[in-house]
Amino acid sequence: MHAKKTLLLTSVAILGTATLAACSSTGGDAGAEAAGDYSPGERITMTVPFSAGGGSDLAGRATASGLEDVTGTTITVENRDGGSGAVGYSHFMGLEGDPTQLLATETALMALPLVQDVKFDYNTFTPIMKMGDDYTLVTVAPDSPFETCTDVVEAARDGRVVAAVSGTTSLDSIVFSLIEDDQDIEFDRVPYESGSEVLAGLMGGHVDVASLNPGEIAGQLESGDLKALCALAPERYEYELLADIPTGQEQGIDVAFAQFRGYIAPGGIDDEAKEYWVEAGREFADSEAFTEYIEANYMQAAPLYGDEFTAYLDEYNENLKKGLGIE
Amino acid sequence: MIDNLLLGLETAVSPENLLWCFIGVALGTVIGMLPGLGATTGVAILLPITLTMEPVTALIMLAGIYYGCQYGGSISSILVSTPGDSSSVVLTLDGYQMARKGRAGAALAIAAISSFVAAILSLLFLILLAAPIASFALKFGPAENLAVILLGLATIVSFSGSNAVRGLSMAALGILVSTVGVASGFSTDRFTFGNVNLLSGIPFIEVMIGLFAVGEVLHQIRRGGEKPIRARFRDMIVTRSDLRRAVAPTLRGSGIGLGLGVLPGAGATLASFMSYGIEKQVSKHRNEMGSGAIEGVAAPEASNNAAANASFIPTLALGIPGGGATAVLLGAFIVFGLQPGPLLFESQPALVWGLLVSFFFGNLLLLVLNLPLAPVFAQALRLPYSYLYPVIIFTSLIGAYAVGNNHFSLWVVFVAGLVGYLMKQFDFPVAPLVLGLVLGPLLEKALVQTSAHGEGNLLVIFQQPISLTLTLAAIVLGVGPGLLRTLRARRSATTRTNERQDIHA
Repeated sequence: MHAKKTLLLTSVAILGTATLAACSSTGGDAGAEAAGDYSPGERITMTVPFSAGGGSDLAGRATASGLEDVTGTTITVENRDGGSGAVGYSHFMGLEGDPTQLLATETALMALPLVQDVKFDYNTFTPIMKMGDDYTLVTVAPDSPFETCTDVVEAARDGRVVAAVSGTTSLDSIVFSLIEDDQDIEFDRVPYESGSEVLAGLMGGHVDVASLNPGEIAGQLESGDLKALCALAPERYEYELLADIPTGQEQGIDVAFAQFRGYIAPGGIDDEAKEYWVEAGREFADSEAFTEYIEANYMQAAPLYGDEFTAYLDEYNENLKKGLGIE
Repeated sequence: MIDNLLLGLETAVSPENLLWCFIGVALGTVIGMLPGLGATTGVAILLPITLTMEPVTALIMLAGIYYGCQYGGSISSILVSTPGDSSSVVLTLDGYQMARKGRAGAALAIAAISSFVAAILSLLFLILLAAPIASFALKFGPAENLAVILLGLATIVSFSGSNAVRGLSMAALGILVSTVGVASGFSTDRFTFGNVNLLSGIPFIEVMIGLFAVGEVLHQIRRGGEKPIRARFRDMIVTRSDLRRAVAPTLRGSGIGLGLGVLPGAGATLASFMSYGIEKQVSKHRNEMGSGAIEGVAAPEASNNAAANASFIPTLALGIPGGGATAVLLGAFIVFGLQPGPLLFESQPALVWGLLVSFFFGNLLLLVLNLPLAPVFAQALRLPYSYLYPVIIFTSLIGAYAVGNNHFSLWVVFVAGLVGYLMKQFDFPVAPLVLGLVLGPLLEKALVQTSAHGEGNLLVIFQQPISLTLTLAAIVLGVGPGLLRTLRARRSATTRTNERQDIHA
């Protein structure tokens, strides 16, 4: 008898805490309504197509709480991970026309349709807001003979340079392909499954070079456990920690490619709904929470909204095809 | 060092931190008990409610959930053969058998005590030797990881005992099933038949829930009409001889857990399987294992707790997560504006040491919580099965749904449940299947990486001292027992022939 009660109680406790978790982020006071009188509803869902705790999850939760503050809605974050994002995006495809649904998007939206048998591409959805860019730094262990990205390229021209990549369609893999294309060289790749695995491989001296987001390695750069050679970005970073890192272009490598982060709505929503979320995005971009998120992750704020975001994706798609070797 | 510990003590004993530590470990125990909901999910679900707290308080609570889960996971494994997470699968072997013999209380108590001892031992290592251990762990590259996984696979042989063929074929089935989805290092999908849900593979946790929880319930229903276990109170309490028998396995388990826990990726599940396998080779009571031996509870339970603590070593000392749950915790650091990395010990001494000292209190609380509750939990088995089974199925399905967040998960549970039932019916061991499922993707990844590393030459595992040692150990563990048996059989056969010749002479 007692035990049954315990079991029941435990399941109630879990459900209770889960609900609590969902509600607690509701900033009590409703901010200014985003766009006129229109409202898609009070209960919004933000799908994150990756598991909890990763970069996409952090971005999704930061966006959700920022949008809650400016719209006064309640946004529940749902992780639907699997298939490098394919499960989440495919689920989202089924929500066509529903303005109460959002999805925290990033480069997988573009890469998956190019390499895998999925039924969606970026035109299936309604792009709302691009928040910022996350470029990569070409990084080596501190005792590495390489001092500049030119050294790495020259070494790869003469012999074997082992590069770690965190997946076949991941940003670092695309970036290395673009360098190979630009410099007419070839890297030997060892595939890992996440940025932190690559980090361990690099620090343990198992690979020669990696291309990692600054947010992933800020702690190791600061302590001197890793050395960044160049930033594959159009301009130098302004963050104090990264300001001395030259760009690839300064070292003769014409590659600047970022992972973008932002959010999208399902396809086929009303113009009114689209306008509502774009407005909400603009207000979010002006908020403290937005700046905090961007800076904590060493990203570059580069907001684009609605059709501008779509135009950006068109161009991104062309570059990505080149990076993945698809014509 | 003493200064740091005092600083940590000061942080950890503040009433607020103690309270949240207690809430964390209590919630962790509950989350761990629920099938499917493991530490990673638990920490991730509860992360948002900690956002308003002080960072150190939040991290103390989240870490409490993590190691609390390791205690909780064993409870449901022992009582109803329904593992709370993959690292407590092994406990279904001897723990559940003990429960069926009416010794559930003792099994739970041993689990709690060996967890506690392992946690404290590994914590000492964490505090004294975090930096050197972390830099040693970095030496483990693709070849070394491959060797570790081979060692893990070799333990299957000892699992299966005399029935090696069945055990090995189940492990092979597990590895086969694990190949569904997108392969490591490639972008093409295998065996998905256009189903997006299969792109990430057959979800492991759901399979485990099906195999164990649903499979066991179906199996018991089929046997039908059994009376609930009548346990005498005397059998409920752990005896002095139980404790004596648990000492060596707990120490061995702690060592294995510590060793595997610091390696990014390998983790608690492998540690628990491996320590069980080792126990089955070296223990004095190895013949009892599988039918309710104390050693079969103490060793894996010690190792999965040691591994959970050890995974904090690379996390705190290097900023590299040691496993799923610590990866989520690292995410939490960033949310709180803390930069994880090698400088964390210097830049946030109060936080790091406060967190570490809180582990002592958290584990102590767990022991105090779990020991008196062991006989109480064990009373669950007095329930008539007609009440117990629906509760098991209900919580299992909730757990499975919570993990995958879709109906596909439920189908996986049902199918796996049917498979689990058939396996029990025809006497195929389930544990090797689970080990195959867990190790399959890791094995493939290590193979691809080692091959990429050695430019197609896999023999590089024999060229590094660490990987060479581990591979040789795997070979010994894999073929050793069989060889030994054959030799013994031959020797006794020869002596018999000799005797016969003597008689004839």
